[in-house]
Amino acid sequence: MSLRHNFELSYILAKIGFVLRNEGTWLGIFWYLLAPFLTFLLLFAIFFDRLGHQIPNYAVYLFLGIILFNFFQKITGESIAIIRSNSGIIKSMNFSRESLVGAVVLKTLFSHFFEVLLLCLFLIYFKISLIGLIFYPLILLFFLIFSFGISLVLSSLSIYFVDLGNVWEFASKLIWFGTPVFYSIGGQTTLIYLNLFNPMYYFITITREVLIYNTLPELWMMGVALFYSLFYLLIGLFMFNKLKIKFAELI
Amino acid sequence: MIISENLNKTFKVGFKKNQGALARILNLFMGKESKKTLEVLKSVSFELKKGDVLGIIGCNGCGKSTLLRILAGIYSFDKGNLKINGKIVPIIGLGVGMESRLKMRDNVFVIGLLLGMSFKEIKRKFTSIVEFAGLRDFIETPLYQFSDGMRQRLAFSIAIHSNPDILLLDEVFAVGDKDFREKSIKKINELVKNGVSVILVSHDLESIRKHCNKVIWINNGVVFRQGKPKKVLKEYLK
Repeated sequence: MSLRHNFELSYILAKIGFVLRNEGTWLGIFWYLLAPFLTFLLLFAIFFDRLGHQIPNYAVYLFLGIILFNFFQKITGESIAIIRSNSGIIKSMNFSRESLVGAVVLKTLFSHFFEVLLLCLFLIYFKISLIGLIFYPLILLFFLIFSFGISLVLSSLSIYFVDLGNVWEFASKLIWFGTPVFYSIGGQTTLIYLNLFNPMYYFITITREVLIYNTLPELWMMGVALFYSLFYLLIGLFMFNKLKIKFAELI
Repeated sequence: MIISENLNKTFKVGFKKNQGALARILNLFMGKESKKTLEVLKSVSFELKKGDVLGIIGCNGCGKSTLLRILAGIYSFDKGNLKINGKIVPIIGLGVGMESRLKMRDNVFVIGLLLGMSFKEIKRKFTSIVEFAGLRDFIETPLYQFSDGMRQRLAFSIAIHSNPDILLLDEVFAVGDKDFREKSIKKINELVKNGVSVILVSHDLESIRKHCNKVIWINNGVVFRQGKPKKVLKEYLK
């Protein structure tokens, strides 16, 4: 089936997912924003004095880290259960299973848009130039490809390992603490070495440099980020394609 | 057109579906993974030509639905050859995938896309789908207010509007009330005249006798008998 059809299918699935979730609440969007914003307030209150004062524009630094991490966590966390929760249609129709994961990505992208609007308010309040936002869609595209790839891996494996959701919940918490979201990594050698293998580190750092500090990120960092996104996309597509024919039998 | 040669499907019995990561890995090293298998289809060969209406009969659990799912590309098969030309639309379990809290309009788009239609195509055929199902007055009604019959009519209507070359019907040859049943049989006959093939799995031998031009009887994973409906059904009833 064509890419265009997959996109259309993902789109409609994302749309009904969104409609169903926000049915009857006028505050739908507000709820999406509340979680990252409260996390931000809490962390800001705790860490502003201790970690914050060496980091320029700590508030924006923190908020940007939170929404990027939130994007990744939401997509992967929801994708891991997506095959099982759609067993009915998988068992009776032959549509492209990738679209289910694609729908999760699109839905999260939509709610991410509102987080970015909030980010703009932050930037304006702290008198930071909005010029960096021009490059944001490009960064987000590769970040999205990366998240999509990881989700393909997780969703296909979750059929074989029923408790993968629990494992991933724990793992993503580890990544959250390991990634410099609310602190800066400078000077901590072990952590720097560890983070060289952490794709999240690259995406978050690049985005901060472009959006907050309006500088061009180092070329090798962009190269590695590009590599990770394409690498995980290929791995994801490969695994998903290998395993998807067994989905209907195993759920 | 379908040509199936010695199709074989073996399920692992006792494959523990719901195993955690640790249990799965431990079992792998300790060799505890179940080795029992169940050969649902041993060797199934048949041919379906353009415009054929093929009936499949057999006892419960003899592999009819498994065969349909393999043809639809939902299950994989283990051995044999399968050649398929054209778009297959399976109608297995009517109304699956419909969201009861959504309006009928949205549901038509969801199911249509799941069955391989494009946005444009659904938009173009929307009126025709709704008219055929006889649900013109309920376009903006949420599905939870629909009766089972109405849902089935809608699902059936979407499926036959999705440009099938081959229709797979699992016990759903005729749904809804008498009027709708006659209407859908008429529509299927019209499709068949235009070159669409139909595979019909049913325990309702009367409709098999009436509508099929070919019947295969599956027993113990092989095609036990095949041929004209009259002949096969006569033996089947013995």
